[in-house]
Amino acid sequence: MSINATPTGADTAVEETERHATVPAQRGSRRKAPLSENKKAERKLGWLLCAPAALVMVAVTAYPIIYSVWLSLQRFDLRFPDERQFIGLENYVTVLTNEFWWTAFGVTMLITVVTVAVELVLGMGLAIIMHRTLVGRGLVRTSALIPYGIVTVVAAFSWRYAWTPGTGYLADLFSDGAPLTERASSLAIIMLAEIWKTTPFMALLLMAGLALVPEDLLKAASTDGATAWQKFTKVMLPVMKPAILVALLFRTLDAFRVFDNIFVLTAGGNETSSVSMLAYNNLIRGLNLGIGSTMSVLIFITVAIIAFVFVKLFGTAAPGSDDGERR
Amino acid sequence: MSDPDEARRRRRPRVRAVAAAAALTLVAPMAACGSGDAGGPPTINLYYPPEQNLQKVVDDCNAQAQGRYEIAYRVLPRQADDQRVQMVRRLAAEDTGMDVLGLDVTWTQEFASADWIREWTGQDKAEVEQGTLAGPLDTARYEDKLFAAPKNTNVQLLWYRKDLVPQPPKSWDQMITAAQQLKDQGKPYQVLTMGAQYEGLVVLYNTLAESAGGKILNDDGTQAVMDDGTVRALEQLQRFATSGVTSPSFTNATEDPVRLEFQSGAGAFQVNWPFVYPALQEANPELAKQVGWARIPGVDENTPSKVTIGGVNLAVSSYSRHPELSFEAARCIRDAEHQKFSAINDGVPPTIEAVYDEPEMTEAYPMKDTILEELKEPATRPLTPAYQSISTVLSAILSPPSEIRPQQTADELRSAIADALQSKGVLP
Amino acid sequence: MATGTETTTRARLRWGLLDVLVVVFALVPVLWIASLSFKTPATITDGNFIPQEWTLDNYRTIFDTDQFVRALINSIGIALIATLIAVVLGAMAAYAISRLDFPGKGLLVGVSLLIAMFPQVSLVSPLFEIERQLGLFDTWPGLILPYITFALPLAIYTLSAFFKQIPWDLEKAAKMDGATQGQAFRRVIAPLAAPGLFTTAILVFIFCWNDFLFAISLTSTERSRTVPAALSFFTGASQFEDPTGAICAAAVVITVPIILFVLFFQRRIVSGLTSGAVKG
Repeated sequence: MSINATPTGADTAVEETERHATVPAQRGSRRKAPLSENKKAERKLGWLLCAPAALVMVAVTAYPIIYSVWLSLQRFDLRFPDERQFIGLENYVTVLTNEFWWTAFGVTMLITVVTVAVELVLGMGLAIIMHRTLVGRGLVRTSALIPYGIVTVVAAFSWRYAWTPGTGYLADLFSDGAPLTERASSLAIIMLAEIWKTTPFMALLLMAGLALVPEDLLKAASTDGATAWQKFTKVMLPVMKPAILVALLFRTLDAFRVFDNIFVLTAGGNETSSVSMLAYNNLIRGLNLGIGSTMSVLIFITVAIIAFVFVKLFGTAAPGSDDGERR
Repeated sequence: MSDPDEARRRRRPRVRAVAAAAALTLVAPMAACGSGDAGGPPTINLYYPPEQNLQKVVDDCNAQAQGRYEIAYRVLPRQADDQRVQMVRRLAAEDTGMDVLGLDVTWTQEFASADWIREWTGQDKAEVEQGTLAGPLDTARYEDKLFAAPKNTNVQLLWYRKDLVPQPPKSWDQMITAAQQLKDQGKPYQVLTMGAQYEGLVVLYNTLAESAGGKILNDDGTQAVMDDGTVRALEQLQRFATSGVTSPSFTNATEDPVRLEFQSGAGAFQVNWPFVYPALQEANPELAKQVGWARIPGVDENTPSKVTIGGVNLAVSSYSRHPELSFEAARCIRDAEHQKFSAINDGVPPTIEAVYDEPEMTEAYPMKDTILEELKEPATRPLTPAYQSISTVLSAILSPPSEIRPQQTADELRSAIADALQSKGVLP
Repeated sequence: MATGTETTTRARLRWGLLDVLVVVFALVPVLWIASLSFKTPATITDGNFIPQEWTLDNYRTIFDTDQFVRALINSIGIALIATLIAVVLGAMAAYAISRLDFPGKGLLVGVSLLIAMFPQVSLVSPLFEIERQLGLFDTWPGLILPYITFALPLAIYTLSAFFKQIPWDLEKAAKMDGATQGQAFRRVIAPLAAPGLFTTAILVFIFCWNDFLFAISLTSTERSRTVPAALSFFTGASQFEDPTGAICAAAVVITVPIILFVLFFQRRIVSGLTSGAVKG
């Protein structure tokens, strides 16, 4: 078998044509005999394999999610249970016309975009080092993953100490004042703490993606005189696309819900509050289940939009998309 | 293209086995749990914040109960928010597993209005009101009924360096001037206190507002007032924040960092709770000898300050299966003898006035007279079921204090607090 | 899989330098936490990166009562069981998603992503009520179930992404070459799937290990409280004193199982496709 049989395709064009040629044919045959023995068996096996995962997920989350959405349509403060009533979308109007919400939304967006972008670049570098280094591979891999394993709140506390003048080694090094009392520097520190903590997550996923890049292809590309950059973009990236999508997707979901680091580092002072902190303040501290749930649903919708854009951008590399599964 | 169907068919039995095994692992431990009540005396579950020697008090009460009940001390998390969330969540679910609750003084009205805690009546009420300081007792009332028993109270003091400042200042402006002079002389000068966006900033502002004779809410806690006194307090806070005598970390400082900063010798003044003193004696005994304490300065030099009180109240859950015994257990935990024990061993100031006269208190509490003086003319934080929301609003709008524009900020606060009282709008 | 042709000293040196960079970036903040854990109460705020006075008191404090040890056992048990189940269930579903054609596939992929996206803070209260009624509150399964649930989307996505890139034809090719079904799976497919599986295992384990929200909300005693939740029950000498030293010591101690776990699994994340496999 030639190298082209692998899904990677140093020569993507060839693969594309192959796919276009075969997929419609397959679809056609499927339509002709929809209930063939094989197809039925395949369906059954598919359902059987997915059933346990689906059951667990639905059993645990169906009621809480539906309940939250239902709460978001009500005026409901736990301390004034008598005043509970259905008010339709009024909570959404209240939140979406509130300036605290939009300030927090802006901060959250900024943090998400900056941290995910930086992490993607750093994570890719880290993944390549972890994957290809010639010396001390075990040491590099293990130590690079440690930040992800540290409990976030503890890490945040140590950053807070480090950046407070008098008690920390970083504050005096980088500024005269107290960096956590100014908006720009607080945000920078929050982002630094996030990036330090979660780059390993990116790197690990990307490294596992790298592990799928066939050595032969790289060697073949080298023989053909490809530069390192060409090897990276033409050989490695296409194979890693699904891994990159998953890493980006889940990091973005997480980044948009940033909470712990801000909570510990600034408690939202100097306009560094995120949407999750706002939801927490309304839901948990304010016991306003209506407004709090509304914010949760809005966060959910925003994240869903981001996820949708990612999945569309990556097209067929997305899990479950209907093309590439059979080769 | 391949057709792995044959392979799949052959592997299927194994897949099934795996699925079944996975399902079993899920279900098996579920069946194993579930426990019944054992015999013996009824258990009174006391949910209380961490306090190192409270278990000894509990043991003592259990001995005194002679088998009528057995208190079990269930420790709540360290952070106030976490404590409240845990209790609220379980009370909202009508959980019968909680009997006696240790509530921060600012939560009593909220829990009472939601019908989560029982009113104290008859003999229980009479005993609690007997000899208890008026300020702490106020925090335990809602709509003129008693809903909790004050277990301990707390007030901040002014701590100052006797080697730098001969006389404690009478007003905040005097303190600022003294600090500026020290700064010019190149000596330690900072005025250290809590200014981060959290409850600590609200406590500071509440002290200033009450000292200036201001009212944040009306007397029955139903309407936002924000009168002239509160505006003067805003001016004072803003003047303090911009006077150049605060720590650079002021707007991000909480209790413990403030203590540590003073301990390291940077400050001439510190406004903080009494816990700082024993800690200072241990960590920096040399400095401790130079440190004196006084009532917190007023806004006017001729009007003494009114200082915000903290502390913990004991309440009985509405869903308790043993309400009578719970009242009795709560009374035991907070009786004079045990308050003295806790004051000496855990450093929490008593709510029963007579305890301050006990001879052992002098050694453990050299500053007890100043504490008592402040406690007799206290400032409570707004007594309303919506306190948490008001606190969130206050801390967000007051932060950072250097950017306060007094009249404008007062107007902004008035409307935000009015919304919070009715649970309208969004909390910051 | 060294590049083979030029394992020169210069290349080693270059990689070594990069290694050092990575290790410094990753570990300096960790060392700071460790440093705080060795400082005495008097020097904890002196701002020195290296402690002036060393003490083991913080470590003694956390092992003083069995509270921390119990939490550690809970954490290890709960995280391991949840990881195992999540990876097995996730692998089954991912295999189906990446290889089989059946109706409802898109729905499963979509729904699992939606579950991962919903802010967990608003799910905790209803979940608490359900668990209390089922008697799952404050038990191991009471934490394991939500952990599996919220780890599954990540597991399914990661594993499908990797399974999709596996050239399953190789299995057939191996069988043509005379290997049995078992041999083909073990020799060809398993090594290819391993990086994805172990990566997923590490990520899921760390997710369960670090969770605070569920741990604090769905437990109430030492019976099932995990370490991150237990940290919030540490107390300082008095109400307002932060037990910073003890918390840092605990953070250092609980990093050890993570290191062991990662050490054990990272070796298995290696390039699965060797030239031999491709040429069959």
